[in-house]
Amino acid sequence: GEHRDYLDNGNNKMAIQQADKLLKKHKDLHCAKVLKAIGLQRTGKQDEAYALAQEVAALEPTDDNSLQALTILYREMHRPELVTKLYEAAVKKVPNSEEYHSHLFMAYARVGEYKKMQQAGMALYKIVPKNPYYFWSVMSLIMQSISAQDENLSKTMFLPLAERMVEKMVKEDKIEAEAEVELYYMILERLEKYKEALDVVRGKLGEKLTSELQSRENKCMAMYKKLHRWPECNALARRLLLKNSDDWQFYITYFDSVFQLIDESWTPPAEEEHSLEGEVHCSIEQAVNFIEERIAGESRSSRPLRGPFLAKLELIRRLRHRGCNDEYKLGDPEELMFQYFKKFGDKPCCFTDLKVFVDLLPPSQYTKFIQQLLDIIPLVAAAEDEVALPGDIKALQQHLCVVQLSRLLGIYHTMDKKQKLAVVRELMLRYRHGLEFGKSCLKTELQFSDYYCLLAVHLLLDLWLEGEEAAVWQCLTLLEEGLSHSPSNAQFKLLLIRIYCRLGAFEPVSELYSSLDAKHIQHDTIGYLLTRYASSLGHYAAASQSCNFALRFFHSNQKDTSEYIIQAYKYGAFEKIPEFIAFRNRLNSSLHFAQVRTERMLLDLLLENWEWAKRGLGEDISEEHRKLSLEEETLWLRIRSLTLRLVSGLPTLAHTIQPKNSEKTAENGVSSKIDTIRALLQQLEAAVDSGKKFLEQKIQYPVLGPPPTRMAGFFSNGSCQCQTSLFYLVSDIYELDTNGLGKCLGQGFSFFFSDLFNKCKGDLIEVRDGTLKTHPNLLENLVFFVETISIALWVSSYCDSVLRPFKSNLQKKKKKKKESSVAMPPVFTHFLDYVTELQTLTSNVIDHIKGLEIILTALKLEELSLKDTLLLQEEKKFTKTVQGKVQSSYHHSVQEIGELLKKRLDTIKKLKI
Amino acid sequence: MTTLRAFTCDDLFRFNNINLDPLTETYGIPFYLQYLAHWPEYFIVAEAPGGELMGYIMGKAEGSVAREEWHGHVTALSVAPEFRRLGLAAKLMELLEEISEKKGGFFVDLFVRVSNQVAVNMYKQLGYSVYRTVLEYYSASSGEPDEDAYGKFVFSLKLNGTILMLRIPGLVCKTIIIFLAYETGSDSCRLMGFMYPPLDNFSYLRLYQL
Repeated sequence: GEHRDYLDNGNNKMAIQQADKLLKKHKDLHCAKVLKAIGLQRTGKQDEAYALAQEVAALEPTDDNSLQALTILYREMHRPELVTKLYEAAVKKVPNSEEYHSHLFMAYARVGEYKKMQQAGMALYKIVPKNPYYFWSVMSLIMQSISAQDENLSKTMFLPLAERMVEKMVKEDKIEAEAEVELYYMILERLEKYKEALDVVRGKLGEKLTSELQSRENKCMAMYKKLHRWPECNALARRLLLKNSDDWQFYITYFDSVFQLIDESWTPPAEEEHSLEGEVHCSIEQAVNFIEERIAGESRSSRPLRGPFLAKLELIRRLRHRGCNDEYKLGDPEELMFQYFKKFGDKPCCFTDLKVFVDLLPPSQYTKFIQQLLDIIPLVAAAEDEVALPGDIKALQQHLCVVQLSRLLGIYHTMDKKQKLAVVRELMLRYRHGLEFGKSCLKTELQFSDYYCLLAVHLLLDLWLEGEEAAVWQCLTLLEEGLSHSPSNAQFKLLLIRIYCRLGAFEPVSELYSSLDAKHIQHDTIGYLLTRYASSLGHYAAASQSCNFALRFFHSNQKDTSEYIIQAYKYGAFEKIPEFIAFRNRLNSSLHFAQVRTERMLLDLLLENWEWAKRGLGEDISEEHRKLSLEEETLWLRIRSLTLRLVSGLPTLAHTIQPKNSEKTAENGVSSKIDTIRALLQQLEAAVDSGKKFLEQKIQYPVLGPPPTRMAGFFSNGSCQCQTSLFYLVSDIYELDTNGLGKCLGQGFSFFFSDLFNKCKGDLIEVRDGTLKTHPNLLENLVFFVETISIALWVSSYCDSVLRPFKSNLQKKKKKKKESSVAMPPVFTHFLDYVTELQTLTSNVIDHIKGLEIILTALKLEELSLKDTLLLQEEKKFTKTVQGKVQSSYHHSVQEIGELLKKRLDTIKKLKI
Repeated sequence: MTTLRAFTCDDLFRFNNINLDPLTETYGIPFYLQYLAHWPEYFIVAEAPGGELMGYIMGKAEGSVAREEWHGHVTALSVAPEFRRLGLAAKLMELLEEISEKKGGFFVDLFVRVSNQVAVNMYKQLGYSVYRTVLEYYSASSGEPDEDAYGKFVFSLKLNGTILMLRIPGLVCKTIIIFLAYETGSDSCRLMGFMYPPLDNFSYLRLYQL
């Protein structure tokens, strides 16, 4: 009624009022109660909502309205398990309700109660013998087998049972839908009964498999492969290629099977058919002929097909691996690739296609090959000594392909600096010339010549890595120029992001990233670009925001996926169910997710105006690099999450001073908390050791490969040593009462801290020989300093909470005894000294930061003479923009870091006992 | 040279090269899962031999099963920049039309931004005609199926909306009908209600007689 409308319109207060009115008239109107509960839940009164809902649930309602409303409420409460209880009660009272039973099934599906789903499905089928219900039950058996820890149990119990259930339906001729056949196939495949699965697909039941393209063929092929039935594999692949000679997967199967058959010395039977799938090719001659026929056939196709030509190159490669090429006269790969280029060179994918086969070229031929390609591109030079340029888009595209191939073959790699710079200039000239062809391009389209600019930038990046400082500025300049002409080019944006981050300038990154419009799954796949650098460069606000976006995405994943698992049951998309679950698991176990979670919590602690101290006491990466990076990220995550657990464990150490030699410590549970801290500390040390060992390998990721973690900085700038010693202090202070008041406060801290401070000193930007040189590592060190100082403060708060009552205790004793002989232990003075030192140090760092700010503001980059006179006017403009952005970003970083440190200083001042 | 296969969840981790295009929407996970759960056969991806994803098409069957009136609908079609101009989009459309026809769909329709002239021209070449222009269809970017069900109606008369194109197998459309309309809803469910209201006298039969 009316109150439901209020709820739907988001007017929760009115909904509550309406519900109250109704309840006055009819005290026991269940549905009104639940609607009121929904209103309460949505206005943040979770406890009241829960209590009210349980009142109704206890009565085990059986009316649709109450049940539905409670379901909505429980879902909003993220308590899906309560829905199962609700419908369990309902089906008990109304045992013949198809509707309630199916709701119960779905409720179980939402929480993954596979065994109960199986029973609920059968119960449904008994009430209403509809096939889907029966097969829901079968699918639940498969899910039990997937989730079973014991593989044996899954293979000997769940799957055979599922198989028998389906067989029963087959025997009774009750199979109706395609989904049911799919399910049967799934079971047999999982049981490794490939022969039986094949019979199903090829038999009468298989005729139902019509939805997906080539569904039957694909399934047969999968089974032939499992069964090593190469004749059938070959014949089927051959047939499918006759139908579509551009489908790559079947070329691969065709070649695989031909060579398998050759190795087995298979010969076709004299009389009968070659195989179940028809004619079989089992010799190299046949394969060669087959490919030549495909190429001949290509000329009759309405649109040019790349498949047959590339298949020929693939065949050559395979023959070479077997040590037999020449005798089959397939041709010279160099010549074939040249022909391919002639035919497809004007397509942007020509490079991607040929890339796969360049290993067929002998390195001695590279230059000749490139020249051969260049020679056929129609380029025109305006004058004798000028660069010859393409006259149309096709020629430009061909030329781009050659430039990309040159880079791939390492032609530029051997050049010296001067030559490289000459190539950069030529590429940029070509880039700007190529813009002519794209004058009518929309903002959403890419410019035809964008790749020239990208390649120029990559060459400059090489120079930068070789130590040419100016090159990095030119990279940024060219990319900004490129982006101004091609505002949708994601490659430009990603490169800019990576380079700005490398230079320690995060400010421009936010805007670039948001213009990529990355969202949802992209928070996982590219979001790390933001989260890796934002906080480590002192852009705390941006860091919080990007972590939040990512976390919101990851958290919604769980809920979202359950919903569609249920839909997959409804629509009989059974094969999607394990796929969705695997997808959910993959997202949940995302390394990025774990990192963001940890960093977000550390960040929260860092940014919080923490009072808890008192309250509490009350692009193409090699496989090798990918693996190494994963290992490094995992090690770093371990260190960070241990740090987080140690920091968040501090307030749990409620420490009441026990009398000396007290035996009680073990009973009151406090000691177990300190044991946890000590265990964590040990783990941290171990993690740090493995981290150090890992870094000994001195891995250099390619500049555009995975970004390195902050681990190296953490070790080298001294914050690691500082932080671990701080955690040891906690452990030592705890011993205070049992070990006497020794020298708990070691003298090492001030040394560690001043060392860390020294690593922060220096200018962020300096002008050297007319070029700008940045020192982003100083920024990262400053951020580590802030974090370490914060940990020092948390630890100090804890010490303070231990020492303060202890001191007053001693003072009382002193008064009682009225003796001067009870000397105050030195620990108090040490602590005071230590806090004073922290204060001085922090003030010094704040002063240092102020100094940095002044320098940054005073730095007049406009006056920087752009020495490279070769720079065009246009380029100079972009160079200034770029340098201005970096300067402004540093300013931003330094400000945020400074603000945070000032807050910390205020806290230190409160710490003196 | 392409491998055509069913789109799977894992492809979501790898489709950035296609989806970082400004005219290609990246939807929320539920949106993709809904299509995979309900119409998996309408979701096809093309893969290059190097393993790169080249492009994909995502579609569904729309209409009423009860009245035996349904048709295919293309929700998304996109090809990565370096794999354009190979006829891949046409190939993917062909596959979807084939599936739709096999499933008894009367026709295939799709929405495209008026500003996306490249796509409009491609669809025209593939035999599609402009049926009508819808305004503000793309105004909401989230694309989640029941997002903002309490929608705020913002009426706008801007003409840069979206056009609905359709193609009926075996029939060459001679008349192009363009309806101007206010469209406000953000999700396709609402749009469906709008597209085929009883008042419209719209029926599949009449479409055949166009």
